[in-house]
Amino acid sequence: MAAKDSFSLKLSHLGAVPQYFFKRELVPFLADLRLAIAILLILALFSISGTLIEQGQSIEFYKTNYPEKTALFGFLSWKVLLTLGLDHVYRTWWFLALLILFGSSLTACTFKRQLPALRWFSRTWNFYTQPRQFQKFALSAEFNQADVEKLVPLLQQRRYQIFRQGDSLYAHKGISGRIGPIIVHVGILVILAGAIWGALTGFIAQEMVPSGKIFQISNITDAGPLATSQIPKDWSVKVNRFWIDYTPEGSIDQFYSDMSVLNQDGKEVKRKTIHVNEPLRYRGVTLYQADWAIAAVRVKLNNSPIFQIPMAQLDTGTKGRIWGTWVPTKPDLSDGVSLVAKDLQGMVLVYDMAGKLVATVRTGMSTQVNGITLAVKELVGSTGLQIKADPGIPVVYAGFGLLMLGVLMSYVSHSQIWALQQGNQLFMGGRTNRAQVAFEQEFLAILDQMGKENQAASPTSETATLN
Amino acid sequence: MDLVRLQNILDNTSFAILFITMLVYWVGAAFPRLPYLAMLGTTGMAIANLCIAALLGARWLEAGYFPISNLYESLFFLTWGVTAIHFIAENMSGSRLVGVVTAPVAMAITAFAALSLPQDMQESAPLVPALKSNWLMMHVSVMMLSYATLMVGSLMAIAFLVVTHGQNVELKGSSVGTGAYRDKNYQLHRAGEAVNGSTDPSTEAMDSGGVATAVIAPPAPPSISSAPPAPLSPQRLTLADTLDNISYRIIGLGFPLLTIGIIAGAVWANEAWGSYWSWDPKETWALITWLVFAAYLHARITKGWQGRRPAILAATGFLVVWVCYLGVNLLGKGLHSYGWFF
Repeated sequence: MAAKDSFSLKLSHLGAVPQYFFKRELVPFLADLRLAIAILLILALFSISGTLIEQGQSIEFYKTNYPEKTALFGFLSWKVLLTLGLDHVYRTWWFLALLILFGSSLTACTFKRQLPALRWFSRTWNFYTQPRQFQKFALSAEFNQADVEKLVPLLQQRRYQIFRQGDSLYAHKGISGRIGPIIVHVGILVILAGAIWGALTGFIAQEMVPSGKIFQISNITDAGPLATSQIPKDWSVKVNRFWIDYTPEGSIDQFYSDMSVLNQDGKEVKRKTIHVNEPLRYRGVTLYQADWAIAAVRVKLNNSPIFQIPMAQLDTGTKGRIWGTWVPTKPDLSDGVSLVAKDLQGMVLVYDMAGKLVATVRTGMSTQVNGITLAVKELVGSTGLQIKADPGIPVVYAGFGLLMLGVLMSYVSHSQIWALQQGNQLFMGGRTNRAQVAFEQEFLAILDQMGKENQAASPTSETATLN
Repeated sequence: MDLVRLQNILDNTSFAILFITMLVYWVGAAFPRLPYLAMLGTTGMAIANLCIAALLGARWLEAGYFPISNLYESLFFLTWGVTAIHFIAENMSGSRLVGVVTAPVAMAITAFAALSLPQDMQESAPLVPALKSNWLMMHVSVMMLSYATLMVGSLMAIAFLVVTHGQNVELKGSSVGTGAYRDKNYQLHRAGEAVNGSTDPSTEAMDSGGVATAVIAPPAPPSISSAPPAPLSPQRLTLADTLDNISYRIIGLGFPLLTIGIIAGAVWANEAWGSYWSWDPKETWALITWLVFAAYLHARITKGWQGRRPAILAATGFLVVWVCYLGVNLLGKGLHSYGWFF
């Protein structure tokens, strides 16, 4: 028995050590404001590094731009850069660790500092009963002849909430200014939680789909470890039509994709025309208009049926995008022409086997090449879709709401005024936490009005502070 | 009248007026006794503000969308914001030092926009598809207003640093409420005595405040301390206190604007292309600005970080806002680029 007792005692003691460490060491360390400022500034510095060094490029890129021989600042060669993860700053373990420290510091500060302080300010028995208590205020005054009853309407006019107990008066306004910072901190924590949840359960996919095709989401580019259930398997999407509106000057006005969501039986359950800034949402998955390409060209040779021939993007370096294909003009494929287009406005260039421009055709028109009539019926566009599911979004948005509400509330200055009547003497003191200048004006105006009222009531009486 | 010609007249006029206003504020600061200068400076700012508002209104009419889509328009919107916040700061503080720092910055921005930007960057161009959204107005206008507000707040912090050069100061105003208590090195005067000896320059300062109150003065001679306990009278804020507190309040106004602007951008990005945060350079710099000013707000409530240090952080914020606004263009990437112009 005794052995067992001492064992359990040891156990509880073992449990107490971390608890002691947590309460006496860890929490005060995390709640320290100097740590908070350091974290904020270090986060800023780390973020700057990610804007100065190109993110997410190939190893060759860093090898050329950060050579070992002439390392930047004498140390920043591509090897150092890649080892530190400076090519993907915002996903490195040290950046994420700092974010976790940031979250812990916020939590500790909220519970250790803000909530206790709020409890203190929200209690209503905050009265002063001794004249000497007023001496500490920068803004304080005493009247030899004044009545606290005269003060009450002046404070009410200025929307103060008034509490009285015997000869003492306490009035305050703007308590929301004390609650605001707490809501800010909670809002940031909610955003961080939502971001983590989204990273674990969300996925991103990209699809390039020609007009008229049906597709299921399959080209997943990024998925969290818990994302499998999010990826839709029981519905597909049909791109009814993709088109581009051009301005009269020929630049792109807007991209549109007319899309239908189909259930397992191929029946349409939702239809919407999307464009940039106007995505399609279905069951937590959102499809955004992101990119476009030319998928194919529909041509007719003499009296043939209409052929749809795929077009491929040609490599131009970085000098704009063009698409091309080859159309045979002889049954044995021994001769043909190349068709090249740069957008969906309808102009197609026709080149012969020697690479010479032989004709330009608009869609719907035809031309004579190699002795046959080539009619270009249509250019078929593909829509580039960015597809995303992020179950963390509602949480993040809730955090955004709290954060905005919190920062707005935090602008309010919490003003407090104390008064004490002792016989004919009235002592007044006041303070505010933020708007010192505005509060000084308000407090002096109150004193001024009190002084005037005193003079009106008893013209012969002498007030000590207001003359 | 031709809207384009009107715009050309308005942008040059606002530059000229801001230039004169700046000189008026500077002369006014050097010779505080000259009459009418205070009124003249404020009037100049008001005219410049209205000119820019008219200029932006003409652009809005001409292009048919909120005029904030290229560098020229955004520079003028920024100047409009700076002049507007200038009035709030001047009114709150009652100090004409505000104009001494805001007028040159407003002047420099208009000079750059009206004189150095090449003509083709001044013309309004159609919006690219990504920007065709009601979020554009919401996000960009709030961001620009927050830049303007934070700039004015930071400029006042710089003014505070100049005014308090070489002094020890205690800050007034923070979220926990530092600085509401009486300085120990100030003792209370009896009101009667202070008024009797009213050759004291500090009495004059009090009278100009509009409220006649008793006077505080530096440590009183020992003869007074032997008198019966002095009655309480308010201890007024000094010029440095006022500058510091108004700087704090203006930054306190800019910070929520910045927060709302960033969040509006994040929500827009999520609605438009499915990611509320993608670490694009501009985004990141907006976050950096937010972090720096968050650090400033926390520095004010930190023991051992009192005095001039938070103001130095706020003054640094002035640079950070500029990097966020223009510097990112030098990287020349992302959706936020106004285009290359050097």
